[in-house]
Amino acid sequence: MGKVKTFSGGTHPPGSKDLSSSGAIERLPAPELVRVSLCQHLGAPSKPLVKKGDSVTRGQEVAEQNGFISLPTHSPVNGTVVKVEDAPMPHRRSGPSVLIKTESEEGGRVFEPWEEFRAHSPEEIIERIKKAGVCGMGGASFPTYVKLSPPPGKEIDTLILNGVECEPYLTADHRLMLEQGEDVILGMEMLAYALGVENPVIGIEVNKPDAIEHMESLGATVVPLKVKYPQGAEKQLIDAHTGREVPAGGLPLDVGVVVQNVGTAKAVVQAVRDGMPTMERVVTVTGRGINEPSNLLVQVGTPFSELVEAAGGYADDVVRLINGGPMMGIAQYTDDVPVIKGTSGVLALSSEEARQSVEAPCIRCGKCVDACPMRLVPSLIARSAEYEQWEQAERQGALNCMACGTCSYICPSGRYLVHYIKRAQEMIRALKKKEA
Amino acid sequence: MAESRTFELAMSPHVEGPRTTRKVMTDVVIALLPAAAAAVYFFGLRALLLVVLSVAAAMAAEYLCLKFMKRPVSFALDGSAAVTGILLAFNVPSSVPWWIPILGSAFAIVVGKQAFGGIGHNIVNPALLGRAFLVASFPVLMTAGWPAPSGYSGGTWSTSGISQERLAEIPGADAISGATPLNLMKQTFDEEGMETRMGEGAPERVREELSSPSTYWNLLVGRIGGCLGETSGILLILGAAYLVARGVLEIRLPLSYLGTIALLGWVWGGAGWFDGDPLFHVLAGGVLLGGFFMVSDMVTTPVTKKGRIIFGIGAGVITMVIRRWGGYPEGCSYSILLMNLVTPLIDRYTRPRALGEVRQDG
Repeated sequence: MGKVKTFSGGTHPPGSKDLSSSGAIERLPAPELVRVSLCQHLGAPSKPLVKKGDSVTRGQEVAEQNGFISLPTHSPVNGTVVKVEDAPMPHRRSGPSVLIKTESEEGGRVFEPWEEFRAHSPEEIIERIKKAGVCGMGGASFPTYVKLSPPPGKEIDTLILNGVECEPYLTADHRLMLEQGEDVILGMEMLAYALGVENPVIGIEVNKPDAIEHMESLGATVVPLKVKYPQGAEKQLIDAHTGREVPAGGLPLDVGVVVQNVGTAKAVVQAVRDGMPTMERVVTVTGRGINEPSNLLVQVGTPFSELVEAAGGYADDVVRLINGGPMMGIAQYTDDVPVIKGTSGVLALSSEEARQSVEAPCIRCGKCVDACPMRLVPSLIARSAEYEQWEQAERQGALNCMACGTCSYICPSGRYLVHYIKRAQEMIRALKKKEA
Repeated sequence: MAESRTFELAMSPHVEGPRTTRKVMTDVVIALLPAAAAAVYFFGLRALLLVVLSVAAAMAAEYLCLKFMKRPVSFALDGSAAVTGILLAFNVPSSVPWWIPILGSAFAIVVGKQAFGGIGHNIVNPALLGRAFLVASFPVLMTAGWPAPSGYSGGTWSTSGISQERLAEIPGADAISGATPLNLMKQTFDEEGMETRMGEGAPERVREELSSPSTYWNLLVGRIGGCLGETSGILLILGAAYLVARGVLEIRLPLSYLGTIALLGWVWGGAGWFDGDPLFHVLAGGVLLGGFFMVSDMVTTPVTKKGRIIFGIGAGVITMVIRRWGGYPEGCSYSILLMNLVTPLIDRYTRPRALGEVRQDG
């Protein structure tokens, strides 16, 4: 194992990963009805190609790519389209979706399987990744093919596979590395090949020594990372490993780096080697609000309620349901929302775990300043936002915030700092649009 | 199919850290206890009475203000008023009448804190504002008499830190009885005046004694005259160490402040240039109390790392200017009050460079 690396700032929320980290991945059968979101990826929603009553097969493209930053969407089951409609989504209030009645879940191999990926050009690989609808599985859901197509003049020399999983509670990536390490490494090689990068590395926090050992035994170069939130954030991971700073407002490719999640690597393998689009993913169903925390392999479009039932149902004092982890995840009003490609966790928090603090005035202790991984001054930006001084918030660097939640977590006054800053970002962007 | 149900909505993050304002304030109170114990040891039960009255007055004033302004009265129990009360009491001599800390604390809370919007919104340190108010209103009570540190400590000790035996050897020592160490230091700056009062070579003798190991020891232990909480250097350092261990005290502020005091103490704190005694200037007066508990007051000092260093240096310079050339022997409290006023400005100009940020304005 090499030297343990990290970034400056950050915080140490309790990991709570032992709830689910020992549970092997179990496959959950597709439910009677799957609701396939057409806005799972970042960017423009895909455009429906099917209508009510159409029968669809597993892997069939039910909606096509609609723009550069967009992806096609595929059916995870064989069945009949019940409806094409807007419905509540776990990552936004509502979005377009295709509701499909499941008949069976065989098949799904809609592309030619490429046993030897090096027999194909990087361009072909990237095209396949695009057609298969692969997007970042770590949560942000950015279309993977876009990250693999740097604009001319941008030289990529480093590929970091992100196996950090710094969000507390989540263990999906951990289990994936342990149980399907060969595929993760194959996916990493495919991504490196597509980018023309030599010697890709995989970053893993040292709280997963079994994963580090396993990946190293399979021949991967592991970058061990200090256990600290948000170690897995793209810019912090790049800073820790390469010492390069992604310029404000820029992308990792501006410093010659591409970061891909380990789950994305697995999806790439499915697309390239198996000829299957992205239709399923591993989801950690956990929290003390869940009776039997588990790691489940589920079809995209499966409602959260099915996952919870498979994980033994809710504990009595469950109060909050979250898409993702506790630091950046989004609270759900209902569990009748579908799993999307970016759903790394379904977290049910008990009343004891869930943040309940009432905001008190800032005492200017500066803990948020010391902890901000972007080296901002969260307390002052938040104050500008409270007083609706948007221009001042912008001068204070509000747009650099990536909303990791470190400041809110650490604040002794229980202030929702990241919420104020996100509001400032929205207002600054809206004002800029108006000006333009 | 699984039955669906609904949940509460909330903003991320959905978990919270262990630190709360009350825990922070409780730690500060705990850190002040050793020095409070020293105050009782050296100045008797009266010291305890003054501290208790001060804290009670601060909390009562806080409660009444919150009640009057229809704000949650639970803030009165967050510990911040108690800290202000203790610090105010620490800043008065043990000889003051019982109503002095009550008046000072009430002023500190009502005018210094609640008038600006309560916790987190005050511009200057409330306890120091309360002290400034008392010094301006009752200068004789506040600065004229310094009881010797007898209390439960046994023996008789001088107020100046110079041992009684050594003091007896200095000609004309009657003229300096009841003076605090800094008071004596101040007198030496007026060499002619001191020689007239005490005789030839007196300033030199006094300086020599102030910089002797036995005086250092008395300063460190607290066997000197002074305000309640400022005398025992070692116990203040102990309290500060506790706060550092608890992650409450940001060490940049006291270090830059005390470092500046030491440096300037050497530069202009002696008879001529560059022959002052840095150790004496750090141990004497209120700079250990001020440095660890008031320069580092969170609310009224910068939040940026660079800003904290600038604040400490600024306060250190002002303290030493007052000690050398000002009208008071000690400049600690005014230096902090003055720097409090420029805190927002310091914060604005010391914003750290964000990760990946390229500064256009240089």
